[in-house]
Amino acid sequence: MHHEIKNKPDFASLHLFLEQGEQVVTESGAMMGMSTSLKMETNMKGGLLGAAKRALGGESLFLNTYTAEAEKQRLDVAPSTPGDIVHLPMTGAGVMVQSGSYLCCTPGVTVDSKWGGAKSFFGGEGLFMLKCTGEGDMWISSYGAIHPIDVQGTYVVDTSHIVAFDETLTFKVRSVGGMKSLFFSSEGLVCEFSGHGRLWIQTRNAPALAGFLHPFRRVKSKSN
Amino acid sequence: MQIQVHHRPSYALAEVLLEAEETVVAEGGAMVSQDTHVTLTTSASGDKKGGMMKGLMKGLKRALAGESFFQNRFTANGAPGHVTFAPTMQGDIVVHEMTQSTVMLQSTAYLCGSPDIVLDTKWGGAKTFFGGEGLIMLKASGSGLLAFNSFGAIKEIEVDGEFIVDTGHIVAFEDGLTFKVTKFGGGWKSFIFGGEGLVCSFSGKGKLWIQTRNAAGFGQLLGSQLPPRD
Repeated sequence: MHHEIKNKPDFASLHLFLEQGEQVVTESGAMMGMSTSLKMETNMKGGLLGAAKRALGGESLFLNTYTAEAEKQRLDVAPSTPGDIVHLPMTGAGVMVQSGSYLCCTPGVTVDSKWGGAKSFFGGEGLFMLKCTGEGDMWISSYGAIHPIDVQGTYVVDTSHIVAFDETLTFKVRSVGGMKSLFFSSEGLVCEFSGHGRLWIQTRNAPALAGFLHPFRRVKSKSN
Repeated sequence: MQIQVHHRPSYALAEVLLEAEETVVAEGGAMVSQDTHVTLTTSASGDKKGGMMKGLMKGLKRALAGESFFQNRFTANGAPGHVTFAPTMQGDIVVHEMTQSTVMLQSTAYLCGSPDIVLDTKWGGAKTFFGGEGLIMLKASGSGLLAFNSFGAIKEIEVDGEFIVDTGHIVAFEDGLTFKVTKFGGGWKSFIFGGEGLVCSFSGKGKLWIQTRNAAGFGQLLGSQLPPRD
């Protein structure tokens, strides 16, 4: 299988070229176009429990598996938000992916949801992570551009800007600054990472856009 | 202080490189990531001089202008450090170097800047208010680096004489330019049916930055299609 990422970084799309018998697993709804001899199967990867855990993680309950039943089959994949796509070669080490940033992978990669823990849940910013392990290829997507950071020591990221990070990094969720900043800085919660590993962040966040759009909604008229 | 802009023009990210003990002031909520030894303090006033009341008044004026009431100061403690900032909307970031100069910013365009740049609200006047397009300006004056953002790409125009811009497309301009808000030419028929709203007529000499999309227009397009709010 070979791949091309086009239209980076504004409206990135992924184009996969499969040989006979090759497979790719995608987030449901990500297929944009495909050749006719690709067989699509919807399955709950990892059984019912695995699927339920993924649903908790904000990913759709189902993943779609595409199998090439002839030579030279093509699958075009697009994420739902405007933004970037990055290819991650997987070599056995685990990568944590923000739910919603997972796009697709080869079948050798296992996708499992991992509870972010009480602290991140307290954040209320949907910091649910998918734990991806195994060998093969994985593609992740973002809202905005993806900016890679090599963490050596410690580093702080706003929780709504996290895309993915190596499992070698540990993190804790906290506020930035003191009490006054907690209430007045509008900065919300941040993730403090420690260790050595790669970190990918996105340069925009969807909740901020939703916040901008909210005042433009019509006001519901009172019936009485 | 240095400011590098990555991922231009659609999803620009400003990376601010601070010397040890150096500070950058930023719009609330704009921080994306930072080194751990960069600390945040929040105050109602952009500059630490002046009493609490003065700070509150400045904060209030900024809030009127659509900016956050509070400003965040990020300081690199003990060693050089970096902080990254991003605006809310899709678009570009421009870094402008100021030397004892003044730039007028459309109220939501401010992203971050040197602590020696003082932000003040300059009331656009009754005519701009009448425009209803949120044409309230922030006045940034002093020396240092100023980073401002757009919705869409930013186009820089050297005005020498006169130039007309739709009010929703103004990002910033140097104070060598004066402006007045007028209805678009062609009489009342064009004003009402032309869909052009109000325009800003600039005159003088100086830089003008315009944005290739209009945020209010985008908001109205999507907002009208969303379910009503309570």
